[in-house]
Amino acid sequence: MADNDRLDLPQGTLDLLILKALSLESMHGWAISERIRQVSREAVQVPQGSLYPALHRLERRGWISATWGISDNNRQAKYYALTRLGRKHLVAETAQWARLTTAVGFVLDMS
Amino acid sequence: MLTELWHDLRYRVRALFRRADLDRELDLEIDAHLEREAAVYERQGMTSDAARRQARLAFGALQDVKERSRDARGTALVESLVQDVRYGSRMLVRHPLFTLTAALSLAVCIGANTTVFTLVNRLLLREPPGVVEPHRLVDIAPTDGSRFREPFVHATLLDGLRRHVTLLESVYGHTLEVQPLSVRADDGAEIVFGAVVTTNYFSALGVRPAIGRLFTTNDREQPGESPIAVLSHAAWLRRFDGDPSVLGRTLDINGQAITIVGVASEPFRGTSVALADIWLPASMASTVRPTGPWPLAAGGRLRGGVTIAQAAAEVQSIAAEIQNALPGGPVMAAPGIRDRRADGLGVVAASPLPPVVRGLVAGLLTLLMGMVSLVLAIACANVAGVLLARGTARRREIAVRLAIGAGRRRLSRQLLTETLLLFALGGAAGVVLARVMTTVIVRVLPPLPVPIDTSLPLDWRVLLFTAGLSLLAAVSCGLVPALQSSRADVVSTLKSDGPGVSDRGRLRHTFLVVQVAVSVVLVVAAGLFVGATRRAAGTDTGFDPHGVEAAALDLSLAGYADASGAAVVQDLVARVQTLPNVASASAALLLPRGGQSRLCCGVTVQGAAPADGEGRFHPSWNSVEPGFFGTLRIPLLAGRDFTGADRARTEPVVIVSEAGARSFWPGEDAIGKHVLWHTDPAPGSGYAGGPGLVGPNPNDAPRDPIQLTVVGVVGDMRTGSSQPPALLYVPFQQRYQARVSVVARSRDGGRLARDIRAIVADIDPRLPVVSSSSLADVVSPVLLQLRLAAVVSATAGFIGMVLAAIGVYGVTTHTVARRTREIGIRIAMGAQRADVVGLVLRQGMALVLVGGAVGLVLAAIAGRLLANRLFGIPPIAPLTFAAAAALFAVVGMVACYVPVRRAARISPVDALRHE
Repeated sequence: MADNDRLDLPQGTLDLLILKALSLESMHGWAISERIRQVSREAVQVPQGSLYPALHRLERRGWISATWGISDNNRQAKYYALTRLGRKHLVAETAQWARLTTAVGFVLDMS
Repeated sequence: MLTELWHDLRYRVRALFRRADLDRELDLEIDAHLEREAAVYERQGMTSDAARRQARLAFGALQDVKERSRDARGTALVESLVQDVRYGSRMLVRHPLFTLTAALSLAVCIGANTTVFTLVNRLLLREPPGVVEPHRLVDIAPTDGSRFREPFVHATLLDGLRRHVTLLESVYGHTLEVQPLSVRADDGAEIVFGAVVTTNYFSALGVRPAIGRLFTTNDREQPGESPIAVLSHAAWLRRFDGDPSVLGRTLDINGQAITIVGVASEPFRGTSVALADIWLPASMASTVRPTGPWPLAAGGRLRGGVTIAQAAAEVQSIAAEIQNALPGGPVMAAPGIRDRRADGLGVVAASPLPPVVRGLVAGLLTLLMGMVSLVLAIACANVAGVLLARGTARRREIAVRLAIGAGRRRLSRQLLTETLLLFALGGAAGVVLARVMTTVIVRVLPPLPVPIDTSLPLDWRVLLFTAGLSLLAAVSCGLVPALQSSRADVVSTLKSDGPGVSDRGRLRHTFLVVQVAVSVVLVVAAGLFVGATRRAAGTDTGFDPHGVEAAALDLSLAGYADASGAAVVQDLVARVQTLPNVASASAALLLPRGGQSRLCCGVTVQGAAPADGEGRFHPSWNSVEPGFFGTLRIPLLAGRDFTGADRARTEPVVIVSEAGARSFWPGEDAIGKHVLWHTDPAPGSGYAGGPGLVGPNPNDAPRDPIQLTVVGVVGDMRTGSSQPPALLYVPFQQRYQARVSVVARSRDGGRLARDIRAIVADIDPRLPVVSSSSLADVVSPVLLQLRLAAVVSATAGFIGMVLAAIGVYGVTTHTVARRTREIGIRIAMGAQRADVVGLVLRQGMALVLVGGAVGLVLAAIAGRLLANRLFGIPPIAPLTFAAAAALFAVVGMVACYVPVRRAARISPVDALRHE
């Protein structure tokens, strides 16, 4: 897929994608961006420069927590996991996102 | 939601303290990320180097991501502040000379501003301590609608206001000055200073007693009916060792038995700047001190929600009603100081100074404040100039930091922090300096006859002012250099290190021009004030105060009346005269510069009428013993001095001043002419009788006018630059006054206070000397103001000039350093040293010239403004302006000398190797 076919993330959706990615298992930073890319069938390229600030922000809010662990390549890595608070937010924001996209879809379908 | 906030806060605090750990973790995390990313590219077939580069490219600006990650922790503001402060202090320590000179010059200027503001705070802003809700207090005084005219309110009006006013909770009266009272004990007399207040004074102010009670409205207000007093806390401690048994004790005050009923709580010392030891109810004023002037000033407390304007309207209408009902027509001020111009009562927020002088003092303080702010502006321009220059020097460093990804805003913030630190340093030192300066000011105050609260407290208002001022100065002079520096163009700066011609240079030149201009203004102002002071204090005062001791007595304190008192004064003068060190001695009601007294009812002169169309002249007058003119070296121009023969029952005589003689009998010989001294009010003058401030004995019933024969003409007294006033002198023996000053001229110029005190004590141990001072130390208020203005402006001008010179030196040095190569080439091409000198000098002096010209124009405008005031400054003073111009030319040359010499000594070989 060519670069210009990739989607720019709308403001604020990165947080939601990170939470979603972490909802199955805890992961380290690089894995999160990989996961998002794969699951979106390469349509979404996580802006790597924004990933780490976002992770710190989420950690500050207490939606995710971080622990150091040993990664698959036997290296120290910082693993992020969804907290209970984060899970609640994921549910709430997923619902909100669905409502928003449906609504926007309606408007755009109007003729 | 709450748990989230709590988590957030806990995280932030932890992040703040574990900053280093978190930073290391972030580095590790990002390294790991890049490694994995590179591994992916490597698997796609890139070499390991290329893969790593590709990973970095995909990641974005590394420092930026790290910075933003740190920001996301929510501690960035605190952290970067700590960092900036640390970095800033490092930079300041690394340039100790710059830091020290800049902080010192700022400290001096901020200190000067703080000092003047401390005065403003004390005299105009500060609320009296020990008073409840002082912001609701107001002063009430006679006004002509636009200006306050007199401090005191007529007793009838005060009474009426107390009865009828509704928008004020209460209206009270109080004396502005404190009066010496004699407390008699077995071992002689002691002076205490008393104030007189209406019985509702304390309750209106909300003052609480420390022990006993204060006056209440239950205390009767009929004259002589409430022989009670309240002590100040300080007097209680000093005089009675804080003994509670003082309550109920009866003191002999001026021969009256007065019972102490209470002690006011500690902080309260009255509502004016004069410090009272004891308060008496207004009903006792005339009993305790029959001859004493006790005019009352009025104050009140606004009801909640009432504005000053509303209260003023009500007070004015009540006043108008009362006046119209008076038989003699409108009165406003207390009698004896009748002022035709006051035609109503005004209301204004209370302050330690009576409204009538507040405007004058505010004007003077504004002037001083203006001057010290100008110096601060110069100091700021100086620091800003140096900061700009350092910005240029650090251009490379800044460009490097920009290139590796530092944010411009962050950089500006950092540079600004450095400036703020510098100003904080200057501000803190300034506060310390201000303490020293205020102490000095209090020390150099002229001796005062009554205790005045000279404490100049450093309260929250002053500290807030200084902090605000430092911050404002820092931001206004640090912002531009900081923005300028961080705007460095990375590529061009890094590519060439050549001298970038910049706005920065121009900006620095502008700063310098401003500096020179402002300091020219200050120097010119200093010249004008010094000149005016010299004129005011010069030989032209009409008398010679040097070596004259003046001891003030109040004979009523020892119970003397007319005949016995006059004899005591005569005896006293005679005995002082016999002292070996005394050249001559006399006595007088008033001393030159010691205020003046107007006649209650004026005088008339046959064949002459005052220019203002009124029926009578209102000259000032004085009552003097023989020898007064000789002792003060006031020239006797015609006729004779008083002699011992001018006694109570001989022909009433008068000596007039030259100005008086001229206005009464222009072009004629005054000797033998008559002056009719009126003791009854002129018809329609509104004078309603009652005790005057200082005037003919108030207990005198109005009687026929007295005809005075002129026996002499003496030289005028001059105060400042105003026209000398008409003055009448009458013999003390013919017009006794209880308040009198013995004056004596010593042979060797030394003090005589102790000798005079000894003689007074010998004549009557009950008679205290109220105060004794050298007449040369007694300074008229006008002169005091001028002197203050002269000292402040001279200091300001000098500091400003030195700072401007440093500025010129700095800019010129900088120019030479920058153009070393060019100058080297010029010399190599055959330019003469003189050409080089001219080149550098021209640039430095051009700035001085422009600044000087601007400054002279501004000074001319300022001079015109000052000339309109009462200071006696001529609108145009060509000599002062020329001197200032010459001074700055010289200063400019001196400042340029070192850099010019350096330029002239540039060796072309070295210069070309310079880069």
